[in-house]
Amino acid sequence: MRLRVVGLGVRLTVLAMFAVFFIAPVVWLVLAPTKSDKALITSSPFSFGDFHHVALAWKHLDAFSSHIFRRWIGNTLFYAVSATAITLVAGVPAGYGLAIGRFPGRKLVLSLTLVVMIVPGAALVLPIFLELNAVHLIGSSLSVILPFAFFPFGVYLAYLYYATALPPSLLDAARVDGCGELQTFLRVALPLAKPIVALVFFFSFVADWNNFFLPYVVLADSNQYPITVGLWDLLSSTPSFNPAVGGGGQSVKIFKPELALATLIAVVPVAIVFLFSQRALVRGLVGGAVKE
Amino acid sequence: MKINLRWWFIVLALAASAASISATASAAERTSVSGSLTVWVDAVRLPVAKLYAKTHPNVHLNIVTFDGDGNGATTMQTKIQLWNRTGHGWPDVIFSEQANDPVWMGQKPFDFALNLKSVFPKNLLKGWPAPSLAQCTVNGQLVCLQDNLAQEVLYVNQKLMKQFGYSVPTTWQQWAALGEKVAKDHPGYIIGNIGDSYGAWLYLWADQCPVSQVIGPNTVRINSGDVHCTRMASLLDPLIKSGVVPPESVFTADFATKWGGDNDKILLMPGPVWYAKDIFGGTLHVPAGELTATLPLRWNNEPLVTGQVGGGPWIVSRHSKNTAAAVDFVKWATTSFAVKSKVNALSPGYPSYAPAAAKWLTALNKDPYFAAPEGPAMQAAANAIWKGWNMVTYPDQPVWSNTVVTQLVAGKSLSSLLPAYGDGLAQNAQAAGYKVVRK
Amino acid sequence: MLPYLPLLIVFGVAPSIYALDLAFTNVGGGWVGFHNFVRTYNDFRFLSAFRHVLVYTCVWLGALIVFVVGLALLLHGRANRVSATFRFLFYMPGALAGSAAVLVWLFMLDPSVSPGSFLLHHVLGADIFAQSIAPGNLPFIFAMIAFWTGAGGWIVVMYGALNTIPHDLEEAARIDGAGPITIALRLKLPLMRKWIAYMVILSFATGTQLFVEPQIVQTASFGLVPDTWSANQLAYQLAFRYADFNGAAAIAVDLLMIGLVGAVLIVTRSGLFRTDD
Repeated sequence: MRLRVVGLGVRLTVLAMFAVFFIAPVVWLVLAPTKSDKALITSSPFSFGDFHHVALAWKHLDAFSSHIFRRWIGNTLFYAVSATAITLVAGVPAGYGLAIGRFPGRKLVLSLTLVVMIVPGAALVLPIFLELNAVHLIGSSLSVILPFAFFPFGVYLAYLYYATALPPSLLDAARVDGCGELQTFLRVALPLAKPIVALVFFFSFVADWNNFFLPYVVLADSNQYPITVGLWDLLSSTPSFNPAVGGGGQSVKIFKPELALATLIAVVPVAIVFLFSQRALVRGLVGGAVKE
Repeated sequence: MKINLRWWFIVLALAASAASISATASAAERTSVSGSLTVWVDAVRLPVAKLYAKTHPNVHLNIVTFDGDGNGATTMQTKIQLWNRTGHGWPDVIFSEQANDPVWMGQKPFDFALNLKSVFPKNLLKGWPAPSLAQCTVNGQLVCLQDNLAQEVLYVNQKLMKQFGYSVPTTWQQWAALGEKVAKDHPGYIIGNIGDSYGAWLYLWADQCPVSQVIGPNTVRINSGDVHCTRMASLLDPLIKSGVVPPESVFTADFATKWGGDNDKILLMPGPVWYAKDIFGGTLHVPAGELTATLPLRWNNEPLVTGQVGGGPWIVSRHSKNTAAAVDFVKWATTSFAVKSKVNALSPGYPSYAPAAAKWLTALNKDPYFAAPEGPAMQAAANAIWKGWNMVTYPDQPVWSNTVVTQLVAGKSLSSLLPAYGDGLAQNAQAAGYKVVRK
Repeated sequence: MLPYLPLLIVFGVAPSIYALDLAFTNVGGGWVGFHNFVRTYNDFRFLSAFRHVLVYTCVWLGALIVFVVGLALLLHGRANRVSATFRFLFYMPGALAGSAAVLVWLFMLDPSVSPGSFLLHHVLGADIFAQSIAPGNLPFIFAMIAFWTGAGGWIVVMYGALNTIPHDLEEAARIDGAGPITIALRLKLPLMRKWIAYMVILSFATGTQLFVEPQIVQTASFGLVPDTWSANQLAYQLAFRYADFNGAAAIAVDLLMIGLVGAVLIVTRSGLFRTDD
């Protein structure tokens, strides 16, 4: 009995230590915009300043480069949602097809999907750029949305899901009724799709929101940046991190609190998606085969 | 009646034409250029671009901000590459914080810069100091114009110097001797720093160390073992060790806490003219009425030379479809008194165009933040920048940062790091296609 | 299937083939065999870039395997509410975009601002930011940042995997007198093998592709961290600074090979594709 209590104590301590590791920086981030630049250095990291500083930090941030911060957030929403929509429309049926289909080349497509997941991004970005250039898409939002929409991880998840969660009986019933491919899909796959749609939506949205490398390379105009590249642009435009800016950079009032606020705002949409997807994630993650 | 009408007509016509002449004259800036223009600026030059848009309504100005290629970044190289590949998208004007950007912009494979010699008003060009124009000349072509000069001077905290009874040093030797005294009598005070990415420009350039000397087409001399380099390193080593010249950057929060603001422990500091109010007042919060600038230090009784820290150039694109407006923009941004006559967000640094610089200095000398006018020293230093450190196609700041500063922080001496610094520079030079001469 | 196939080909297969092609040709398109590979190998930054990436990947994978599996096991059991709360807390940092996470850690690593300055001083011996990011610390720091954002997700996956273990198996083991540790090691762990393997393969591939973290820290440290610290960064520089797309492709193929070899090894050793389990 003693051992059990000690064991529980040890367990909780370890879990708590890791929780602190994961959460402390987030707490710091939330509190940082409430303090002034100087206060961030001098006062305790977890102290609360006041809301006045948050308003001030937002004012400075918004004033940067003619409200470009709002545009960045808007861009990212646009890219992520559009790309995810395409991913869902293309990827989920594909996963379904791979799971139940009996067509030639099925194994090939599956393996290719897996392999492409492992290919380094650096290898793909340049050829993709050249492809996009050949069809004169560089400079348009499509140059970001289309590559984003290709999400092999999502297809593989859908494949796993339908391979394990689909009751064969339903499938047989549909076949017996003489349904064609499309009808089988509509009758069988779609009703079951909710958990996997939520899952793929989640992963795709987060991946698109967080993607840095592709937009970094492909987008020339800073007005088109998503927030990930925008944050880097902000960082390199502030005196705190770019001395060359120092000569006059003070008129660009971006210091630590503004950077912290920018980071926080950049995170909010994804955090919201996180909260809403929590359920679908835990339940549907392992092919919907959770035995509770 | 008819005669009257005719008379009125003539008067009106004369009046109208007189009005239009004066209108044309005053709006000569505006009506002579029109069309659309795309400029890429960093955050600091943004107010200038915005003001141009406001005062030149005939020009449709598209402003894009970027990181300015600061600190040896390669943003512009990436972008220009992409534009070259797609065959369109080049901006008309670019401002860069990196003084060596125009060097590769003016050569293949980038081949981006327009030769300004033929299109920029020659009478205005005379206003730039010769070294500045030389810095912007690549293969005989004038590929850029410096926006502001960045010569190095010696900043002095007059109040503290008087308080401790020290006299202002004029040579590096006096400066070093003072440093030893400060380390003993007033530990915690500093006489300079060496932790910034441009530390080499402050100390090695100022002492004529030949580690970036273009001696022929695509050939560069990188000799970190030269006596000019080693003697400066030997001078600095005990100072770094005793802590009066710490290997920390002025831009870190730590620096401001330790030596700025409330502690006010910066006694002396070699630094570029753009430190002036923005760094000391803004970043470091040094109280008003204490600082001034004097002539840069010289080595014993050798002639005065000093280093340069930046001084960003404007570049016009060769592919511009509106060269007239592009040149007009650069002309206005660099020479117009509307931009350059006050020390403010529009012109935080020392203008390179001499007539504008004169006005700027007048304003600076009147600024109550300083204990004494800084203008005279800055002006004198402008002509003392050593010409033997040339711009090349690869940035040297990163090499200094990651071969020297990281090790200084770890406690090694500068003298021991000079060979590695030279090696690093040589490797970068070779990777960039230069032939390297190591002696 | 129809909408997906074009995407797969245009953005997956074609670029990979084109990258392979670039790696073996020169600027004019002529075949040069392994010349690009030899040339990039001799670049003065090549060895250190790959060494950095390999050390980083090993540290990161090690942390992932030990801590993710360990934490998932610790979470699994009773007290579902408590477990759910912890899972959520571990998961939160995953919301931070790659660059956002780095920004946060830039502050965490600066002793003058960080709440963990005590740890920085005692573990890293750092009193100023420049010391925190001393070259020797970098692989561990980047691994820590990647772990901070990525671990939560995998913990949830592993937890889900543990939930697929039939309760009766656990009960049976408990009745037989097995303690919680034995159950964890003997029963749960082997059944998670496939998922662990999957995690390792994906993480190995992403690990070797490290780009965002060193790139941003490079900007923020005024260049104390070189812009070719990781192999992917070197590839980027070769492509976009030196216009050497062939060299960049060669490095990318190197990384791909490493990823594939790792994947094959793991797949065969763990039986990931076997379906009889």
